[in-house]
Amino acid sequence: MIPVGVLTGFLGSGKTTLLGRLLKSPDFGRTAVIINEFGEVGLDHDLIETSDESFVTLQTGCLCCTIRGDLVLTLAEILRRRDDGAVAPFERVVIETSGLADPAPILHALMGDDHLAARLAVAGVVTTVDAVNGAETLGRMPESVKQVAVADRLVLTKTDLVDAPPNALLARLAALNPSARVLSATFGAIDPAHLFDAGVCDVSGKSPNVPAWLADIPHHHDAAHDPGRHDERISCFALIRDRPIPAVALTLFLEVMAEHCGADLLRLKGIVDIAESPDRPAVIHGVQHVFHPPAFLARWPSSDRRSRLVFIVREIPRAFVEALLAAIEAEVHEAAQPA
Amino acid sequence: MTADPIATVHDLLVAGLRAWRVDGSVTRAPDGTLELTARGATLRVSRASLPFRWMVTFGVRSRGVTSVAGLLRTVRRVVDPDHQSNRLRIAPAPLVPP
Repeated sequence: MIPVGVLTGFLGSGKTTLLGRLLKSPDFGRTAVIINEFGEVGLDHDLIETSDESFVTLQTGCLCCTIRGDLVLTLAEILRRRDDGAVAPFERVVIETSGLADPAPILHALMGDDHLAARLAVAGVVTTVDAVNGAETLGRMPESVKQVAVADRLVLTKTDLVDAPPNALLARLAALNPSARVLSATFGAIDPAHLFDAGVCDVSGKSPNVPAWLADIPHHHDAAHDPGRHDERISCFALIRDRPIPAVALTLFLEVMAEHCGADLLRLKGIVDIAESPDRPAVIHGVQHVFHPPAFLARWPSSDRRSRLVFIVREIPRAFVEALLAAIEAEVHEAAQPA
Repeated sequence: MTADPIATVHDLLVAGLRAWRVDGSVTRAPDGTLELTARGATLRVSRASLPFRWMVTFGVRSRGVTSVAGLLRTVRRVVDPDHQSNRLRIAPAPLVPP
């Protein structure tokens, strides 16, 4: 499997600078880069210098809304060229979105194509945030809020231009997406090993990374009750269940969430104690109404065997999600009783 | 989790109206029937005998539904007719690479 990282961030937040530095890193060689620029004349791709083993492909137009199909075609094409030996045998792909892009449809495109899914694995979403202007941008531009909300890693850029740690911005980022790790880059310099490592497993399939992936999930109800963990329309909360959840209840729950809240369910990830599979928990991950197939782990990654579901949502009341799961659990329980 | 299905569904409908951004209210009558009022419409939700679980009455029309999912869908079609729903899609890409 070839890992695919999505690099996003608002206009001027330092995506291209970060990418340029990454591509010069020996640890980040053999990378295929797809740069999406909004507008007829792209510039960013001319600003990227690559090693001989990496290359850059440019797409214009808005990746998230008009050329999602083109992204699939582009990925298929570079895989074909790799197979034919026409390009260097790249070991990873990075997609740099335009500054106005919504990352969710891009993830859908990566998750939803049969042929790509057999060869490519999403390795995470990295969002750059300008330490100088980030707070103001988050206040004015809803696109930037969503870019932060769906991130696995947040990279604070231009930190050399601020005198003190931007505590207000950091608090805002924590409120929007407490499960994303925040890193810092000065002039784009950052350890690439910490960027696109957000999958459940190492894409080689050899080194399960479940504990790290799950480490982001709150272990206590209290984490979700923190009133500071909301920001206008976006909120993050966790549901924790001490009792196993029947498989059919989980399926129904996800179906209803997709039906009624799909566009506003920015991200859902969790580990679930499935009643029918007590020793092998299911890991679930979805973006809006599109989910990966649940992955059943060989064993519980820790002694904590509770179901833990983390939601990043836009204007979905926590009370609805809690009431829905409770109602479905009750219904499934009732249906299992003798008539 | 409460053992009272009416109370459970009451809580769900109250939260559902908020989630759908629909102004309205849900009250519980002494006979256990729920009355939901929103956007000029009034629906009555009551328990039904098998094969249904819930009966939704809107004006002179009654419709039986077999699940909470069906109940929410039926109610929302009345109080939020412009809603465009999504269907759950399970993508082919595995969460854990094979």
